[in-house]
Parts: sequence; C-alpha cells; structure tokens
Amino acid sequence: MKAIAEKLKYWNPYVGGVLLGVLLFLSFLVTSHGLGASGGVNRVAVAVEDLVIPEHIDKTPYIASMAGGDRNPLDHWIVWEVAGILLGGFVSGMLRGRVKLQTYHGPQISAHSRWGYAFVGGMLMGYGARLARGCTSSQALSGGAVLSVGSWAFMFAVFAGGYGLAWFVRRLWQPEA
Amino acid sequence: MAPFDIAVNLGAGAYYFIYLPIGFAFGFILESSGFGDSRQLAAQFYFRELRVLKVMFTAIIVAMTLIFWSTALGLLDYDMIWVNPTYLWPGIAGGLIMGVGFILGGYCPGTSLVSVATLKIDGMFFLLGLVAGVVLFGETVSYIDAFWHSSDMGTFTLPELLHLETGVVVFLVVCLALVMFIGFEWLRGRLYGSSR
Amino acid sequence: MKRHLDLRVPGAVALLLAAAGLAWHGQPDIAQKWDLLAPEFTQQLTEREVYIDPGELLQLMNNDYIDLLIFDVRNESDWNQFHLVDAEHINLAELPAQRDRLLSLPENAVLVVVSNDEMLATEAWQHLMVIARPNAYILAGGLNLWLNIYGVPEEEVAGHGKANLARPDGTLRHRFTLSLGNRHAAARPDEHRTAPRAYTAKVKLLKKIVKAGGCS
Repeated sequence: MKAIAEKLKYWNPYVGGVLLGVLLFLSFLVTSHGLGASGGVNRVAVAVEDLVIPEHIDKTPYIASMAGGDRNPLDHWIVWEVAGILLGGFVSGMLRGRVKLQTYHGPQISAHSRWGYAFVGGMLMGYGARLARGCTSSQALSGGAVLSVGSWAFMFAVFAGGYGLAWFVRRLWQPEA
Repeated sequence: MAPFDIAVNLGAGAYYFIYLPIGFAFGFILESSGFGDSRQLAAQFYFRELRVLKVMFTAIIVAMTLIFWSTALGLLDYDMIWVNPTYLWPGIAGGLIMGVGFILGGYCPGTSLVSVATLKIDGMFFLLGLVAGVVLFGETVSYIDAFWHSSDMGTFTLPELLHLETGVVVFLVVCLALVMFIGFEWLRGRLYGSSR
Repeated sequence: MKRHLDLRVPGAVALLLAAAGLAWHGQPDIAQKWDLLAPEFTQQLTEREVYIDPGELLQLMNNDYIDLLIFDVRNESDWNQFHLVDAEHINLAELPAQRDRLLSLPENAVLVVVSNDEMLATEAWQHLMVIARPNAYILAGGLNLWLNIYGVPEEEVAGHGKANLARPDGTLRHRFTLSLGNRHAAARPDEHRTAPRAYTAKVKLLKKIVKAGGCS
C-alpha cells in the first residue's frame, strides 16, 4: 500500500487532514453548517424521478418534502457542493495524471466481480446514509466536529460494521496470503 | 459574529460563489489524499493503511479546535451553527449498514464522487448502487417509519452527555485521537512489520 | 519517515496545547455572549426597531398567515390575573430550554415578548437573541399600556382604569375584580369594536435560504 501511495504521490494524510479540517471550519464560519455528499446524490436521483414519475413523488411523503408539487429538489446548497466535489476531484486527478478509465480492485478478484461488489456496497451505503440521516461527510466529519452525540455513535457504528466484516471479505482486498 | 448567513444576502449567487468552491476544495483534498482509490480506503480495515483514520480524525480535531476557539473568542456563534440532531438508533443502525457497505463497496458517498470524477469504473458502479439504495430507502421508509423517528434526542452534544465543559471534551477528544493514531501505527507495525 | 516525524510531534503538541487552552478558557455564557453580540442588537433596542405597538400585536393576532408566538415572562400571580389569549407562560430561566424549538420555527413565525412594562420583556428579548436569534419583538408599553387601550373598566377595580406609564416599575398596575387569566375581554380584543390605532409597522418576515445543514 505504501508503495502504491508513493508511486501515485498522494499527500501525507495528516496534511490532508489538516487542510480538510480548516475547510470544514471555514464552512461552518461562512455557511453555518458543515459538509455533505449523500444528500446531493439523493436530490439528483429525486429530480430524475420527478421527470419520469412525478405523480409518485407527490404520494410518497419522504420524497414529497423535497420535490412535491413544484418544489425543485435541485434548489439546495448540497447539490452545488456535490457538483464542486466532482470538479475538484477531477482537477486534482488531472493535475497528477490519475484520470484514467480503470477499475481499482484487490488482486484476488476480477474487475467484473469488483463491479458487482461496488454496486451492492453502494446500495447498502445509500440506504444506510438515509437511515442515519447523513453520511461520513455530513454526520461523521461535520457532526463529529461539533460534538453531536448521534454523529459520534454513528461514526463508531460505521467502523464497527467495517472492521466487523473485514475478515470475512478479505478476499476482496487482501493480496494472496 | 459569524456565521453571517451570507446565503440570504447573496441569494442564489451563494450557490455559485460559496458552495461550488467549498465542494471543489473538498473534492480536491479528497482526491489528493488518495480517497478516490477504493484499495486505499478498504486497506484501512486491514490496518495496512491508516489514511482514512488519519485524514478523518485529523480533520475532525482540527475543525473542532478551530470552531470552539472561535466560539470562545466570540468570533462564531455556537447557537447558530448546525449541530446534527441525534436520532440514536437509526443512526447506529444506519452506521452499521454503511460500515458493511464501506468494506464491500470500497467507498463512501463523498469519495465515490471523487472516484467517478477520475473515471474509475468501480466508483461508477458504486454510485449507481448509491442511487439505488437511496431510492429504495425513499420507497420503503414508510414501513419503518416508527423506527426511523425513534430515539429523537434533539440536539444532544457530548458535553451535555458527559456533563463536562466543552473545552474539556475537546481536550479529551484530541487526546483520544492522538492515542488512536499512535496505537494504530503500532498495530500496523506489529501486523506487517516495520516497512517504513 | 524521519522528515514526517519532525512535523507530527510538534503538530500533535500544538493541538494538545490548543485544546488544553480551550478547556481553561471556557465558552461564553449568556451574559458574556450578550456582551459580544450587544453592538448588533443594542441599536435595534435604542432605535425602538423591535418594539411593536399594541395595535400591531392585535393585527398579528388576527393575521392567519402568521404563526404568532407570545412569550409572557411575568410572574405567576400577574399571569393568573390577566394574560393574552394564546400566550405562553415562560420565565427567564426557562428560555434556554426553548432553543431547539426556536431554531426550527417556520419562516412565517413571529415571536412577541410581553411583560407588565417593557423592562422584563426587553431582558428576555436579549436572552432570546443570544440563544436562538428568532424573529422576535417586544410589546411596547407592556400589558399596562395594552390594558389602558383595550381594558374593560368594568372588570377592573374602580379607580384603576388607566395605569400610569410615566414611571414604569414592572408591576401590573391594573387590578382585576377576578383573576380570570385569559378570559377577560382584553385578552383577545374584538378588533371591530375597538378604535384602530395609528402606528408604524415593525414586524418583518425574515427569509432564510439555508434552513438547515446536514445531508438531506
């Protein structure tokens, strides 16, 4: 892992952490709240749904609050933040030659299997993020920084879930023993 | 005193001038730290890489210290900043599910966006899954409505829980994070040998 | 690795010191916060921007588009003698507990703080501004003035029809024959039976673009 990191010249994680912490602080200072990500994806999904099956939106209370009637689900700060994340990630990748159509996967499985697991993992993430009312960016980072109990409980649960399952799925990521 | 509610003054312009740049910086930092790479992220759970822990917790303690020094000096109004309300059990349940999703999928929502931005196909599949999961939730939440609204403790902070002063809690959290960094480094050294 | 070590240790020490310093310095309490916020809000008080005329309060009571909250911060016995319809009895010590509720008020919510004169209500208003910064106003002249205008002399002890406002002392200077709380006629005056008052409207609805943070 260290070898890969050095080859790709990723930043020192502590440096990244400090910069992220300063950004998080500035976000609170200027916007009164922290960062977020899953909510933006949620809203874009709802916006697409709204184009295709608008009547269904109005009948489902959870989504109606975002897109019912003539409410625009994209008229929310988090959608713009997500757009920024995509741009920022892209530019950073471009600057370092990391923008390449490829699949990252552990050495013991194929790219195709990886796609399947990525999809399933994403689905669990999407569901869990809504259930927890936030994702690692909004709950763990932002909520954690302002000492919300729910956010810290959430954070520990995420790590518990990940570490708990890690041994059983080590074939996905670990090199041959 | 901050926050200045800039959004009200700028109107929709706030979206362009404030949130887009914030998101940009967020994505840039994440990608530069290697978070667009699912192998790096998953390696966290095998103690081979400590990036996730280091970046996340460093970010939290740095932001926390800056925030609370600002409130202490009267530069920022703590009562006006968004503190996530605590819904204890949905949060824990959601967190566990997300942990499983993390180790299976290799990303979290924010990092998957970065991954997609650098054209990683596994990131794209993850994002599709994310959308599916989110839609699934929206459709089925009415069945678990009671659970989803349960254990609503409102705005509940660690100082309130522990009956300690905010500053003391901040200090304890910083200590905890530093101990964790040192501990995990040691653990990694034991598991994989000092490959420094 | 050695190069990294050079920055990690001082960085960690710096953070620890900063956090320790925070524990020592402490966070501002309500009084200190008021001192810090005072310049912003004192002007609103001295320019009387947040004192509303009783006529305006009556308007608000009858306005269906506004979500009106009335906080009555007086003592128990004054409250029992007379209070406005739909008023909530909350004293100063109980204000911090209202924080979560105040932070999630809808956009069309208007909060009016009332006391016998203006002093107690003004103090409560300052606390509210520090706690949650709601869209809040103070009843000018307090309930003493309110009852001068809308009070029904028959319900009051003879000779106490008009309270003297020149020397406010925070007491309720109307005495009622019976402590009817909000069942007096003046608790919700009939606007068709009272003379309309001329006043400068002060209440504004505040528009918030960012209603909440978090991932939703």
